[in-house]
Amino acid sequence: MGKEARQNWDNPVQFVLACVSYAVGLGNVWRFPYLCQMHGGGGFLIPYLIMLVLEGIPLFYMELAIGQKMSLGSIGAWTAINPYLGGIGVASVVTSMYLCLYYNIINAWSFWYLFHSFQSVLPWAECPLNSNRTGPIEECETGTSTEYFFYRETLNISSSIEENGGIHMGQALCLLLAWVITYLFIARGVKSTGKVVYFTAIFPYVVLFIYLIRGFTLHGAFNGVAYMFTPKLEQLANPTTWINAATQIFFSLGLGFGTLIAFASYNQYNNNFERQAIIVSFINCGTSIFASVVTFSIYGFKATVNYENCLERTRLLLLNTFNLAEDSVSMDNVFEWIEKLNTTYPQQFAEIAHKLEGCDLESELDTAVEGTGLAFIVYSEAIMNMPVSQLWSVLYFLMLLLLGMGSMLGNIMAIITPLRDFKLLSHISDELLNGLVCVFCLLLGLGFTTTSGNYWFTMFNDYGANFSLLFVVLAEVITVSYIYGIKRFEKDIEDMLGHRPNWYWKIMWAGVSPLLLITLFIVYIVNYIQGGTPTYQAWNKELGKSVVTEYPVFGQLFIALLLVSSVSCVPLTALYVYCRERKRRPAHTGSPE
Amino acid sequence: MLWKVLLLLGLSSAWAQKLCSPGASDGYKVRLSINSALGDQAYVWNENEMFLFRATLAFAMRTYSDGQEYDVANVVVCDETPRVSFWFVVTSPLDASLLVDKRRVEEAVRKSRSRINSAFLLTDDTLEFIGIPPTLEAPVAPDTPPWLIAFGVVMGGVGAGIVVLLVSSVVQKIRKKRDGEEETGGKTENEAASDAIYNMSFSDDEPVTQM
Repeated sequence: MGKEARQNWDNPVQFVLACVSYAVGLGNVWRFPYLCQMHGGGGFLIPYLIMLVLEGIPLFYMELAIGQKMSLGSIGAWTAINPYLGGIGVASVVTSMYLCLYYNIINAWSFWYLFHSFQSVLPWAECPLNSNRTGPIEECETGTSTEYFFYRETLNISSSIEENGGIHMGQALCLLLAWVITYLFIARGVKSTGKVVYFTAIFPYVVLFIYLIRGFTLHGAFNGVAYMFTPKLEQLANPTTWINAATQIFFSLGLGFGTLIAFASYNQYNNNFERQAIIVSFINCGTSIFASVVTFSIYGFKATVNYENCLERTRLLLLNTFNLAEDSVSMDNVFEWIEKLNTTYPQQFAEIAHKLEGCDLESELDTAVEGTGLAFIVYSEAIMNMPVSQLWSVLYFLMLLLLGMGSMLGNIMAIITPLRDFKLLSHISDELLNGLVCVFCLLLGLGFTTTSGNYWFTMFNDYGANFSLLFVVLAEVITVSYIYGIKRFEKDIEDMLGHRPNWYWKIMWAGVSPLLLITLFIVYIVNYIQGGTPTYQAWNKELGKSVVTEYPVFGQLFIALLLVSSVSCVPLTALYVYCRERKRRPAHTGSPE
Repeated sequence: MLWKVLLLLGLSSAWAQKLCSPGASDGYKVRLSINSALGDQAYVWNENEMFLFRATLAFAMRTYSDGQEYDVANVVVCDETPRVSFWFVVTSPLDASLLVDKRRVEEAVRKSRSRINSAFLLTDDTLEFIGIPPTLEAPVAPDTPPWLIAFGVVMGGVGAGIVVLLVSSVVQKIRKKRDGEEETGGKTENEAASDAIYNMSFSDDEPVTQM
């Protein structure tokens, strides 16, 4: 092994910040609060922390060790560990490629919302008027103005995945901008990325902190936080809780994409990654909890505002129907008045009974949302009710942007680092290779800006990465523990760090983590088979809400293609290497060694 | 004599009351929400305020209808409730028993809506004419959508950044080639020492080792 003039991080802090920036992403903000809410509030932290210790940190450590030892991207590293299993690296690259294609769309949406925040009235706060200016547009009235802005003005969504329209120019421009910025951040490889991560890792915490203060001072925030932190410990008996905790830890840390291997490959050989692995894992965990506290205070505010608006509408309805004086019914005694009027004027009351919405704070708090719905609809609804909403909107979408960009940097590095290692491509300059990858992903990503693009996005999001990652990491941990051998791995680590990993790590790698991963894998397959035809949420214009629709045949075929294409890289590469070896030594009768 | 005048007045007001009734075909219901609109500064609804309403409506009819001289007496009000809602009809100034057509009243109210609103310090939602939807103001549509401006600024900045980046790396490569030509034997360490800007770890033409 001659001297490799490989790029390096300027200092270990850059490496840690890069890992933090990659691991702390949108999932911490929009998936973890949802899981907390679904699985018993504060009680969810117990399975979450247990899974962190059992599977999260050991696997994180393992990937960093591999990357730092081999100093190669995922394909090169796995080929070095075992030539037949280089396919694991290929599978990682394919999965990262899928992720890169669709992930930048989220950044494009964040840009769109960010740019639209520079207006005196936030465009999602009011419904636009219809053509004869008598009232708001019907689609907006049946839904809410925030949903209308997201589904109609941002996405211009069609009513199913089969109907297609043209590209939404605004989206395409924002996607272009997202890719251009991504290129700017990675153009020179680790040299540019290393400087950018100072900002992308730290600024989101600044915004979260500001939002924490703002959130706690909002009217009704306490309702949300109390609701979240009241642990419902009976949820711990539900196995789904533990499965979801394990899955969340797994995806939140970004294992299996090859990013961690790529980042670690730029480390100095003797970098103390053990400590860094533990630090990054706990920072990621802590950020999830921090983000949920903020999210729940905002939930509480939004729920309280909606509840009070509901009460106000009911009050007006009562006043107008029964011609009572304005100050006789206030928001506090609406319910008493309903009782009174029901008994005194039963007939008149029955006429308006269907217009009465049941106003309930609990049910407002119960509406658990995750994903893009939470980030772009629920949050923007809450923001438009805050004073000086433009400022809060800008801060929030800037934070989303940085979280997304930080993760995006990692994903792109996971593709570029292995490509760089190929001798074929090594004479192309850094800038050119990175540019080509970005342009390629941009062109394919334009498909997600069409009118049915959001449905394809959901398909990629749900099926593109989950299954293949489980498979890849399972293959990784089994390869390292049993095929490469724990003893050899131990020696490598001792070579780098100066001491062997203690019994905790070895038990996790050899026993606990593989078992957990196999369980998750089996559960995933069982759920997929039992779930019947895969479905998605299609936006219905007339009803003003999403309806569950089954994927058409080509959609299901595409899902199968997504699942199979990355997983099959492992056996296919093994076969290819085997055939190549056989061709090289056809005359030998003994085992080729 | 006096009792005849009184009888006539009584009869005419009774007649007027018969013209105005809740659900009258040529009448409209009005609803005011003074407390919601003004909060602490709400005024009390009394006879004088009602007089103002009738006068304002008479003004609207005068200005925007057929130009006849409508008077306060031509606006007849009935069915007042504590909500502060009531029905009104408009009688013709020429014949007190004839009601002005619904559509003319609606047109007059529509055109003078903002004047009526401001007379009472209220808005379209707090002074409602049930059955006459307000013509909402057209939103101000700027020539360039504001988001495009913000986009242009950011895109320009990023584009400039990329150009600077690419130009600086091309310049570095040219310099490196020039230094490489000057020194025979290609001693990499000397290159690094001679060119302070050139970054050692930047050598992208070193092939990475075995696979």
